Amino acid sequence: MPLGDEGLLVRFAQTLDDCANRRAIAFARRLHDEPIPGVCEVVPNLVSVLLRYQPESITFQKLAGEVRLRLLAVDETDSQAGRHWDLPARFDGPDLAEVAGLLELDVATFLKAHAKTNLRVLAVGFAPGFLYCGMHPANLVVPRRKALRSRVPAGTILFAAGQTAITATEVPTGWHVIGHTDFANFDPLANPPVRIVAGDHIRFVSVR
Amino acid sequence: MTSLKIIAAPPLATIQDQGRFGMLKFGVSASGPLDRAGFARAGKLLDGLAGAALELAGGRFAAKITGGTVRAACSGGNFALSVNGKPRSWSSRIVLRDGDQLEIVPGKQGNFAYVRFDRELDVPLVMGSRSTNLIAGLGGFDGRNLKTGDTIGFAKAALAGVKSGSNPRPDDGPIRFIWGIHADILPKDLRSAFAEGRFTVSAQIDRMGLRLNDETGVFARIEALHLVSDAVVPGDVQILGDGTPVILMRDHQPTGGYPRIATIVSDDLSRLAQMRPGTGVRFEPISLERLERERGRASK
Repeated sequence: MPLGDEGLLVRFAQTLDDCANRRAIAFARRLHDEPIPGVCEVVPNLVSVLLRYQPESITFQKLAGEVRLRLLAVDETDSQAGRHWDLPARFDGPDLAEVAGLLELDVATFLKAHAKTNLRVLAVGFAPGFLYCGMHPANLVVPRRKALRSRVPAGTILFAAGQTAITATEVPTGWHVIGHTDFANFDPLANPPVRIVAGDHIRFVSVR
Repeated sequence: MTSLKIIAAPPLATIQDQGRFGMLKFGVSASGPLDRAGFARAGKLLDGLAGAALELAGGRFAAKITGGTVRAACSGGNFALSVNGKPRSWSSRIVLRDGDQLEIVPGKQGNFAYVRFDRELDVPLVMGSRSTNLIAGLGGFDGRNLKTGDTIGFAKAALAGVKSGSNPRPDDGPIRFIWGIHADILPKDLRSAFAEGRFTVSAQIDRMGLRLNDETGVFARIEALHLVSDAVVPGDVQILGDGTPVILMRDHQPTGGYPRIATIVSDDLSRLAQMRPGTGVRFEPISLERLERERGRASK
């Protein structure tokens, strides 16, 4: 579907779903490997892919045709292909006890269960280098906090909505703060500025 | 070394080049001038070779040139320009010599003024651009608004050619839009309220977004839709939880989860950005096919 007069959005689902997310990432990879002339930017989201194009170079109709061709052969098992990262982490966030309490677990049991999920980066969004990782099983789903924190620092590990998120800049958040990593995923002076991207795999390594 | 010393900075004063494209996948919106047409006009006044612009809004701007002579061009909206206290016309090209003082104050029309020079501003390229992104705090002058007392040097960097501006449109017609990605799941009466209603531009205009006053209150009844967030683009019209319609501008957050009823046509976003608070605004849907036909004619 069109997103304005310079964008096309390919949506794989209406709700967050692991399979749709894998397809979105695989499709974005395919567009990277087989670019469409006139497309200046490809952005994978949680369950969709945004293509920004130059309307003076390609019409929407032509672009939609090229997109359909590339959608035919998207293989979401491709998205197994992400890089693997071990991130040093301290799980000592101020909301840890509250989260464990919401799940009727003690903190140690919650952390053990949290570590069992193989985290995949679902999307980069919201802020520079901000990672949405998932999906935790249904028994580890907690809602967001009612109160917003106006600032948490880069490297904060957040938890809500069945996902773990990692900030890369100072941001406001309504998610639970469960820990911190020293890994910096955003450096505006580096090329590329973000190291961990959608489709990569993450494991936290506890440090003291 | 030739430089520009800021004597008075308005509340919004950033450095903008054409924008930082291709970085949305890393969570960084493109930034760039809110009025692309005004930015381009200033560049054309310098014979098509100009550096990044100062984008100024919300108050008086004054600056002094030291250490050399530069040519400058001002455009966007209709502001009051003077050099050493002598009024000059708007838009115009001016020569500024060592010690000359440039002053720009809001005038008859518009929110954003652009000043460009016949050389590049000496601020680092960050992710390929000199544009300030205020929400991410990067680019431009230390990622922030310019303040009184700041000094910007001029660099030897090569100048980029000025891209042609957007298609000229009459100044008083409705703002055209393409139906948004959530228009089909919003109630029909909300869609018709947007396409037929009258809105006014609120006082909340900045580089992230422009809020509309919805005088009929029709959007206040919106029900939460629990949408999965998607990438957003400048011009997206989001309806916040309290029913406020917000049109996203060039320093938008990279993703958004509010319902989007419409996306403003890119050529019309410049004109919208220049509408003063309190101005009435009407929106008119246009199909992509018709827009492409009109553009095809315009470029022939």
